[in-house]
Amino acid sequence: MLALALALALGVTLGLLTNVTVPVAALTYLGVAVLAAIDACLGGVKASLEETFDDKIFISGFLTNTLMAAFIVFVGDRIGVRELYLAAVVAFGLRVFENLGTVRRLLFSRWGWE
Amino acid sequence: MGPHPRPTPKDALIHLREESAKRLSASERLVEQSFNQARLVTSLAVGLLLVGFLLVAQMRGQATFSGSLERQSDQNLAIIIQQLTAENNVLRTEVARLQMRLLEAGQATEDRTQLLSEAARELNSVSMMAGLEAAAGPGIVVTITDPERVLLPQDFVRVVHELRGGGAEAIAINAIRVTATSGFSGGGGRIELDGTTLARDYEVIALGNQNNLAQALELPGGLKTTLVTFPGVTVQVAAADELSVPAGSAVGYSFGSPVEDE
Repeated sequence: MLALALALALGVTLGLLTNVTVPVAALTYLGVAVLAAIDACLGGVKASLEETFDDKIFISGFLTNTLMAAFIVFVGDRIGVRELYLAAVVAFGLRVFENLGTVRRLLFSRWGWE
Repeated sequence: MGPHPRPTPKDALIHLREESAKRLSASERLVEQSFNQARLVTSLAVGLLLVGFLLVAQMRGQATFSGSLERQSDQNLAIIIQQLTAENNVLRTEVARLQMRLLEAGQATEDRTQLLSEAARELNSVSMMAGLEAAAGPGIVVTITDPERVLLPQDFVRVVHELRGGGAEAIAINAIRVTATSGFSGGGGRIELDGTTLARDYEVIALGNQNNLAQALELPGGLKTTLVTFPGVTVQVAAADELSVPAGSAVGYSFGSPVEDE
């Protein structure tokens, strides 16, 4: 857990240090992709707590989810349904909260707070 | 194996082998577990690292985007366009005005350089005329002897006058430059030029056309003829090619001041 928190902090620091700025055109894509990435990580944490974690599944899920999320936004832009990104946002947002809830419950049971 | 109360060495060996095999598989499982754990942590850590990085990038981008025009409402955009157009017009006028000024300034500079070179030329001739600079060139030497001391200052005024009439560009008497403000004075046989008493056997040097200068003095009935009628006075005029006169001293205005004539 500590290693994971450290990794997140390191990522943030790296982002701050490298001073990257996303071009305005790519903002929506990256936004949804970030949401998907968060969802994938939470899913990974959940799986590790359930002891069903498989790194192949995690990595492939991470990549396909983020890419697909961005792709959905792209398609929405192209076919004139700009709001299509909402679908991705809702889907991933729901999953994030779902995963969060599961993780919470698993942690509680692991720590014996139930 | 039979009713042996003590295990045979063979049994012991078998037991040992099974035991070690069990231990081996247990440790193998442990290794595998920790390996899996490491893989888990590593992949999750990489994922989270990416998430953190992307989050920051996204926030940065969003921050710049919020300040950009794309976030403005149509009404605001119309106002902004209006303002920018007005500003543009002002700036365009300014550009035109500045270009005009630039052109004028260029013209003025040209005029000024021309004026300056003209002024320099003028200054040159004026300072030469005023005798502020030493001069050299062809001219004549007039040697006047006056053992009886009969010559008066006005005689020298006449000499200078005649020489000027003959086109003298620079005149010096006994190595003292005669300038526009020079004056002769004296009395009782003493001749002073600008306060300096001139030694006898006056040597007048005049730069200019040698023929004209000599003629100015030697005309029949001219100055030379007049001077030599005085007792003891002799006048000799000789042309020379390499003469030089010293610079006179500049006189500044103490009482008067230049009046600018527009």
